[in-house]
Amino acid sequence: MAQRGASAAREAMAVPGLTAADRAAVNPLDRGYALLGMVLIAPTVLIFCAVIVYPLVSAIYLSLFSIFTPTLSGSFVGFRNYAELANSPEFWRSLLNNLIWTVLTLTLQVVLGIAAALMLNQAMVFRSLARSLILFPYFVSTVVAVLVWRWLFNDLYGVLNHLMMWAGILDMPLDWLGAMPNAMVSVVLVGAWKYFPFVVIAVLARLQTIPETLYEAATIDGAGAWGRFTDVTLPQLRDVLVVVVLLRAIWDFKEFDLIYLLTGGGPIIGTQTLPLMVYKEAFGLNEMGRASAVAVAMMLVMLVFMLVYFRVLRARGEEPR
Amino acid sequence: MKRILGRVAFNLFAWTIVLVTAFPLVWMVITSVKPQFELFRIPPTFWPEQITFEHYARLLWETPFLLYMRNSLLLSTATTLLVVTVATLGAHSLVRFRYRGRERLAQLVLFTYLLPSVVLILPLYLMMVWIGVANSLLSLVIAYTTFALPYALWLLRSFMQGIPDDLENAALVDGATRMGAFFDVILPQALPGIISTSLFTFILSWNEYLYALVLVNTDEARPLTTGVMNMLISAFNIEWSLLMAASVMMSIPLIVIFAFLQKFLTRGFGAGGVKG
Repeated sequence: MAQRGASAAREAMAVPGLTAADRAAVNPLDRGYALLGMVLIAPTVLIFCAVIVYPLVSAIYLSLFSIFTPTLSGSFVGFRNYAELANSPEFWRSLLNNLIWTVLTLTLQVVLGIAAALMLNQAMVFRSLARSLILFPYFVSTVVAVLVWRWLFNDLYGVLNHLMMWAGILDMPLDWLGAMPNAMVSVVLVGAWKYFPFVVIAVLARLQTIPETLYEAATIDGAGAWGRFTDVTLPQLRDVLVVVVLLRAIWDFKEFDLIYLLTGGGPIIGTQTLPLMVYKEAFGLNEMGRASAVAVAMMLVMLVFMLVYFRVLRARGEEPR
Repeated sequence: MKRILGRVAFNLFAWTIVLVTAFPLVWMVITSVKPQFELFRIPPTFWPEQITFEHYARLLWETPFLLYMRNSLLLSTATTLLVVTVATLGAHSLVRFRYRGRERLAQLVLFTYLLPSVVLILPLYLMMVWIGVANSLLSLVIAYTTFALPYALWLLRSFMQGIPDDLENAALVDGATRMGAFFDVILPQALPGIISTSLFTFILSWNEYLYALVLVNTDEARPLTTGVMNMLISAFNIEWSLLMAASVMMSIPLIVIFAFLQKFLTRGFGAGGVKG
């Protein structure tokens, strides 16, 4: 093996720019490498099949049954679960909620994220400490974030109500999580707070690579601060923003923890999104089959986002990331 | 003079924004050291009049917190070790070898990286019941690979694409085998990538909630996320300072990792990095 590798390598060295993989394609002596490659990827493929592919297929299969969760006994019902969903106002309401939540929180994340990134890109005292503090909400557990916010939102002793009453914005303590539309607003706000640092990281990394000369040229052409932002910064950020928006849209759409822990989907189903409905059908109402149908329907909606994401990457001829 | 004033104003403004963003976390720490009665002061006191660590003591000695902590540590460490080992080999294969189906496999990885857990959770739940590992840490390790493996694989693949081919070629010229070159050349080069991938994977597992909620319902195997949440739900009257102390404690490992990750962070993202 050592001999073979060495001779192959020597051969390839004569032709610069060839990788070991290229040589394998050219040199029949290196065919064995393909086998080695497959051996190395084998554990990954096995695990993928067991914990992802099989459950995915299984979810579609389960959606054709009516299954009682505690006993897991069930009977085949064909597409009845889907027919029921199509006629269920709760399903459409959850889908609508899901879209409202995604669009609002995503918009806030992007706007706040860009603003914070621009700010953190400027010279300021203790900049790296400021960066860490801004990024931290993204890394704390959703459980921690939710506990803290529920304490802040507390109607009697929560500091948020006190601050806002002290500042004269509110006359009465507000029920942040128990009434509509407050609950949706609160969930969107906490979502924006928790996830905008993702946008900050991405945008900040890109900002640091924009050549200074572009700004100098724009200044010479008479552009003000706002003009430099719209004419230089935004076009330069476009590519990274498209990726960030699509990724965050996918992740926000499937968010479960944050909404479930903040409001549990309430009041009634005011903030119930599709992932919450899946959980409720499966473990609250014990309708495992119908829950799978909701999950599959949700997948189909997400597939649209994913296809757009793949298409954008391909159109750019870029490696997905 | 005007310039200096401008700088001062900007710094004040920027730091106000930063502090407002960080306020919930600051408030968490402050609440955790206030005596219980001080929480119900109207208006609330900002600085605690009296600093106490009684909530931390109660948390450690009178609640199952340490058990949850142990579970979380075991779970996240096991998941990270398993996933990073498998993903390092897999990523090396995807980057440096050529065989049928390789591109398709890479795409599948990306697809699964975006897949919602909630779709997989019902079949996984049935699977765990069926193979008889439900309600154990093992079932959670298995479930966590569903999101951790695609993530680690994707991240490591990006890192490894950054290692020049010439390094491996040179080793092969010197008579190394492919596996020899992998251990002696690729692995040391990929080490920073492997370390940050491990840390990110650890954080991801540490923070996971949904699988833990569905697959485990005994304290013996419950990690911190669901454990602490249970303390909120099952309490007769909610003890906020205790919960805030728990929140601080479960964030400490993250702060340690975060300090480590700082320099990898932007690079990690450049390589495809941070997942939410």
